Amino acid sequence: MEPVWQIPRPALFWLLFTEVALAGLHADHLTLWLLGAGALVLGWRVQIYRGVWHYPGPWAKAVLVLMCGGAILASYGRLYGLEPMVALLWSGFILKLLEMQRRRDALILVCLGYFVAVTQCLFSQTPGTALGTLGGVLLVTVVLAALHRRAEAGYWRPVRTAAALLAEAVPLMLILFLVMPRLGSLWTVPQPRQGAIGVSDVLAPGDLSRLGASGEVAFRVKFDGTPPPHNQLYWRGLVLSRFDGRNWSRIEPGLDADAGASRRGGAGPQPWESAVQRLGAPRHYRMILEPSGENWLFALETPVPESPDVTLNDDLTLTRATPVASRWSHSLTSWMDYRAAAGGLGDGRRALETMLPGVANPRTRELAARWRGEVDSDAALVERVLALYNRDYVYSLEAPLLGRDSVDEFLWRTRRGFCEHFAGSFVFIMRAAGVPARVVVGYQGGEYHPDASYLTVHQYDAHAWAEVWLAGRGWVRVDPTAAVAPERIEFSVADLLGGERAFLADSPLSLVRFRGIRWLDRLRLQLDYYDYLWAQWVLGYEYRQERLLTGWLGAWDPWRLGFFILGAGALALLPVLFGQLRLARRPPRPPLERLFERYCRQLARRGVTRAPGEAPRALAERVARERPALGTDAAAISALLEEGLYGGGEPDLADLRQRIRRLG
Amino acid sequence: MPGLRAAFARRYQQWLDRRLPPVPSCRLENRRLFIFPSGAGALYGALLVVLWLTATNFENNLVFGLTFLLAGLFVIAIFHTYGNMHGLEIVPLRAGTGFAGQDVDFVLEIRNDGRRPRESIRLSYAGGETREIHLGAGERHRVRLPAPAGQRGWLDPGRLTIASVYPVGLLRVWSHVRLESRALVYPRPVATGPTPHARPAASEAGSASIPGREEFATLESYRPGEPKSRIAWKQHARGLGLHTKHFTDPVDQRRWLDWDDFPGLDTEARLSRLCGAALAADAGSEAYGLRLPGQVIAPGSGRPHRDQVLRALALFGLDGPG
Repeated sequence: MEPVWQIPRPALFWLLFTEVALAGLHADHLTLWLLGAGALVLGWRVQIYRGVWHYPGPWAKAVLVLMCGGAILASYGRLYGLEPMVALLWSGFILKLLEMQRRRDALILVCLGYFVAVTQCLFSQTPGTALGTLGGVLLVTVVLAALHRRAEAGYWRPVRTAAALLAEAVPLMLILFLVMPRLGSLWTVPQPRQGAIGVSDVLAPGDLSRLGASGEVAFRVKFDGTPPPHNQLYWRGLVLSRFDGRNWSRIEPGLDADAGASRRGGAGPQPWESAVQRLGAPRHYRMILEPSGENWLFALETPVPESPDVTLNDDLTLTRATPVASRWSHSLTSWMDYRAAAGGLGDGRRALETMLPGVANPRTRELAARWRGEVDSDAALVERVLALYNRDYVYSLEAPLLGRDSVDEFLWRTRRGFCEHFAGSFVFIMRAAGVPARVVVGYQGGEYHPDASYLTVHQYDAHAWAEVWLAGRGWVRVDPTAAVAPERIEFSVADLLGGERAFLADSPLSLVRFRGIRWLDRLRLQLDYYDYLWAQWVLGYEYRQERLLTGWLGAWDPWRLGFFILGAGALALLPVLFGQLRLARRPPRPPLERLFERYCRQLARRGVTRAPGEAPRALAERVARERPALGTDAAAISALLEEGLYGGGEPDLADLRQRIRRLG
Repeated sequence: MPGLRAAFARRYQQWLDRRLPPVPSCRLENRRLFIFPSGAGALYGALLVVLWLTATNFENNLVFGLTFLLAGLFVIAIFHTYGNMHGLEIVPLRAGTGFAGQDVDFVLEIRNDGRRPRESIRLSYAGGETREIHLGAGERHRVRLPAPAGQRGWLDPGRLTIASVYPVGLLRVWSHVRLESRALVYPRPVATGPTPHARPAASEAGSASIPGREEFATLESYRPGEPKSRIAWKQHARGLGLHTKHFTDPVDQRRWLDWDDFPGLDTEARLSRLCGAALAADAGSEAYGLRLPGQVIAPGSGRPHRDQVLRALALFGLDGPG
């Protein structure tokens, strides 16, 4: 016998408001087509509410659904993937508006709304996004509250209800967040397509200079113990051994017959590692990576990873099983003093590392051949090339464009370049002279936070250098940039190139620009610190969870966790419970009624019990009969009570209290 | 299956009867209140599972946090939903009367002595319409709640269902209150046409007549729709125009509604017809009396008389307190 349901006006208002707000949150991932369809549906729903239009028939609905599906397929080119899936959800969220004829439909809409709001966090995990998503969740809760309230309650009551409920839920959230175990991915899920920038696995002249335009954070590092000096911070990422005349890239898998199997984090060493000597003291550190959308990682030289998700390759680089799609952190140990392949290089390997296809850059090839004859060792050749760079080359982000013979043009004509120009041309010369050499890309340096002792590496710290194989010493790092601009390695690229126009060109508001202004620089470091804490304690909490809770509870087992949830949960709920009890309590009774009760209690003690419904006067008469000694007092008290309770008089309460006390 | 379900429903009722016996009035305390996730709550639970899976698979702590926030919201909602109903007092004030097959109104007073406003409290009797009320702090509200009346006699409206899903609809708190209240249900009235009059009566009857077919009374000009058999063809033949003959039956002005007027019918059918006749007589503002086996109500008129007559019809032959 339910009456026909009509959505309460405030609920509809907040629902439409929420739809618009969530569209705003997701504007980055939604296409204009979908936003347009959303506006159409919103308008239609308003007209239905006003009684102007009807609900769409089955055909109109089918057309709308097909249009949205088609728009998604056309815009994203696929249905599997995070963006199209979120777009699909959002479309459902919008279209369901036209089918909202019962309260149950509205509740489905609310659940969809929660999900759409939360998916925002899959794309970005900044504190700003978290706040925006929280706002979205609050709005959906407002809709939920408004749906269960009569329309006359107005527009703001549901907001207050929703805010109060969520505020009370926050302690529970914190407890669950701290304690609930994180199981790790149960199955693979589509990751967001990152517009993220970073070091790529193909290096062409000019690629790294482009990263110099970005002030974004690449990763942060927290060292156990003292951190190494700036000029030792070579964050090795990828080894690029293949040259096609212009680009440096990785060797395709399978081409290298001598390749050793990768070692999984936490596992024992592979056979090829016998050729690697790790010397000196190990350094243990933790890296917090920003999403790069790629699966290669960066580490100081000769790392050994701890996470089983990470593998160590035979060129001493690290790879993660899946691309880094969100902030992620892992621990590792590096031996910065090492010998790799000092015993000799296999023939296949040597061939790969000296390969120079084609006949481009004839002038450089000729010079290399000439110099090879003039020096007596590979090491001397290295010194000679570095001396050349040191003499008449300029280190700059603003390098001229290069043509087909890029190495020749750079070395003999423009003589101006960023690190990739120097590293690339250096390896070219070495290979032309028959010395095994390769390009390494990664980052160099980083910025220490003065108080919190962690290191922040920005995109503009991207760097390319070379590794040369020297007999008896194995692979040796050679950084031609250090020969051109030693300050780059000793201090920071920001100090060296901060004045160039191209530096931070993509981050016009980056506070790194204002390093000269003292208080702004403090502010920048402080903000970076908060971001670091956010990454450490919120985004990467699962890495701290066990240690933190073991510290609190003494051990990490299901029983303790269960009891902790129950105990802390009960503590968190007590205020809510008391609040509810206080609200349900009767308001204090009028003092006269309480006095009457007391009077009855006194009489009961003397053997006269008030009958139900007996009036004060009748009671007094009965007292006079049964306990004549009390008769006069009782008559007076009863008269006063009756006067106060029913007669509209205001007897002296203190006097009355006195008289009642004297009865006893 | 249906047998099983019925058996289960019966057991549930028995359990309820033991747990919540009938009371003159009641305050909704912990013992009387039940709370369980509603349909929307189940949907919400499914949402939480999906969110948790999303958080786990994407290894995303922000999604974890929001999932836990929504889980916390559910837990908090338990307290608020419960608190919205806890401490309400239900007092039955009076019951209306009605006829079998119709609804009978019960008037209840819902008292909120607490300091919190109570929102969207829904009350209903099984099979009856639902009423929704809102109470401010310290407010009392009278609600007229219909219960369907199946047959004549005393109607026990059964359990009053008082429920609420406020504030977020994820949980439903309810109580099935058995109140000691009853309503008098009169027999289903059946119209008897003009006959149930009566016997042409004896003695002190004042003389009157009602339209009938026994004695010729007047000749009136024909109005369209009157039966052809009544047309006075003789007059028409004489060229006096179309007229119809009207007859009357003589009646005793003080009518008797008599059990014996309906021979051959069973008890309920007789009572229904007597009821219909009583209503017709009452509408005509004539004095009427009732003769039932073993019970006679002297002729009279007016509201109290009518109620007395209907009450006698309602309770005829039934045991228990009259």
